[in-house]
Amino acid sequence: MAEQALSTPAPAAHKPQAAAPAKKSALVPRLITGVVILGAWEIVVRALAPQYVAKPSTVVLAVPRVVVDPQFLTALGQTLGAVAQGLAVTLVLGTVLGLMMGRSPAIDRVIRVYVNGFNALPMIIVLPLFSLWFGYSSGARIATIIFAAIFAITMNVADGARAVPREYLEVSRSFRSGRMRTLIDIVLPASLPYLLAGFRLAAGRALIGAVVAEFFLSIGGLGFYILYNSRSYHHNEAFVGVLLLAGFGVGFEVLVQWATRRFMPWYRRGEK
Amino acid sequence: MKDQALLYTTIRRHLPVWLSVLTGFLIWEIAGRSTSAAFMVPFSETLVRLWQLTVHGEFLSQLLDSAELFATGFVLALIVGAPFGLLFARVRVLRVGVEPYIMILYATPMVALIPFILSLMGFGFAPKVLVVFLFTVFPILYNTVEGARSIRPELIEVAKSYRSSEWALWREVMLPYTLPYMMTGVRQAIGRALVGMVAAEFFLSATGIGRLIMEASQEFDTAGVFAAILVIGVIGVGLTRIGLMIEQHFARWRQ
Repeated sequence: MAEQALSTPAPAAHKPQAAAPAKKSALVPRLITGVVILGAWEIVVRALAPQYVAKPSTVVLAVPRVVVDPQFLTALGQTLGAVAQGLAVTLVLGTVLGLMMGRSPAIDRVIRVYVNGFNALPMIIVLPLFSLWFGYSSGARIATIIFAAIFAITMNVADGARAVPREYLEVSRSFRSGRMRTLIDIVLPASLPYLLAGFRLAAGRALIGAVVAEFFLSIGGLGFYILYNSRSYHHNEAFVGVLLLAGFGVGFEVLVQWATRRFMPWYRRGEK
Repeated sequence: MKDQALLYTTIRRHLPVWLSVLTGFLIWEIAGRSTSAAFMVPFSETLVRLWQLTVHGEFLSQLLDSAELFATGFVLALIVGAPFGLLFARVRVLRVGVEPYIMILYATPMVALIPFILSLMGFGFAPKVLVVFLFTVFPILYNTVEGARSIRPELIEVAKSYRSSEWALWREVMLPYTLPYMMTGVRQAIGRALVGMVAAEFFLSATGIGRLIMEASQEFDTAGVFAAILVIGVIGVGLTRIGLMIEQHFARWRQ
C-alpha cells in the first residue's frame, strides 16, 4: 500500500500549505453566509407567507418536541432500516456484478447495455410497477431503494476493476494465484476507491428512493411523516424531518470523503 | 483486406450486444406470457400498446408536456447556476462562504421538499418547474465550485502581475478551469432533472409521462405502464449520451 502511495505522483503535495491558512479565514465568511441565508428565509416567510409555514425560529422550537415524539422515532427507524437493508443488498450484489463486468469482457458486453439503460432510467418511474408487483408494502420500498442504488455501485466497481494496474495482475499470476483469489485479494482492494465513490452516489439515491416510495405508497417512514405533517399544516415538525434527511445525505458524503482520505490518501477524487 | 478485418472486429464487438438485447426481449416475452397479465405483459404486447398510444396521439402530447417541464426547469437552473458558479470562481471569499451550504443542498434529497411546495404553491406549472429546478441547480453549482477550487491562486497572481485585464482573466483562466467541471455538473443534472420531472408529475398535478404511467397503472393497463417505462428509458439513455458528449467535449480543456 505504501508503495502505491509513492508510485503515483502526488499533485496534492503543495495543497495543504495553501489550504492551511485558508482554514482559519474560512470560518468568518461561512458564518456570515449562514446568517444571511437564515435571516433572509426568516424575513421572507414572516413578511409574505402564512403563519404555519416553516421558518428558522419556529423550526428550532419544534426540534425538541419532534425528537421525543414516538411517532417520529418509529418513522425514522422504519426509513433508516429500509435504507440500511437496501444498501446492504445493493453493496453485495452491485459489487459482484461490477467485478464480473470489469474483469470479463464477455460478461461486460452482455450486461452493459442493461446496466447503462437502467441507470439512465429515472428510478422513481418504476414505482407504479413495483406497487403492482410488491403491493403497497415495505417490500416495494426496499425494491425501489435497491433499484435506485445498485447501478451506481455496479458501474463504479466495473470501472475500478478495469483500471487495476496490469503489474498487480502479473505479479499475482506469477505467484500462480487462482482467479477467485486474484479477484478478492487484488482486484477488489484496488477498486475500493471506485466502490466508495459509487457508494456515495448510491446512498444518496437510496435516500431519495425511500422517501419517494413512502410518498407514493403511503407507508410509514420519514417521507410519510413529512408528507402527513405538511398536509395537516404542521410545517415546522415536517421540516425537522427534512433537516434530518439532509443530515443523512451530508453524513454519507462526509463519511465517504473521510474514508477515502483516511484509507486511500493517494486517491484524490472518485467522482464519476 | 483491411476493411474486411475492420468489419469483422466491428461485428465481433457489436454482435454480443445485439444478441444480449435480443435475448433480453425474448426472456421478457416468455416471462410475460407465463405470468398473469396484471403482473407483466410480453414485449410484443408492450409494443402493440405503444403503437396504439402513439397513433392515438395521446403519447406525443404528454411527452411534449414533460419535455416542456424538463426544459424550463433545466434552462432556469443553468441561467442561475452558471453565472453564480463563475462568480464564485472569481470572488474567493464568496466561494469559501457558500461552499458548505452548496454541498449540503447538493446532498439533500430534494424530493422531501415536494410536500411543502405543494401546500404553498398548489398545482400549477410553476411549482413543478421549481421542483425540476431544485433537482438540477445544485449539481451544477456544486461542480462549478469544485472547479473554482481547482484554480491555483498563483495563476491569477501571474495573470495579474502581467497586467492582464479582467476580461482576459475570465477568458484565459476562469472559464477554462471551471467550465469542464460545470459540464460534469450539467451531465449529473440531466439525470437528476429527469427524476425531478417524474417526481413533480407524480406528486404535484399529474401531467405528462408521469400521469400516463399513473393512469395506466390505476386502470391495470400493465402494457401501458411498460410502454411508458420503455419510452422513458430510451429518452433517458439518449439524454445521458448527450450529457456525456457535452462533458467529454469540454473535458479536453481539463488537465
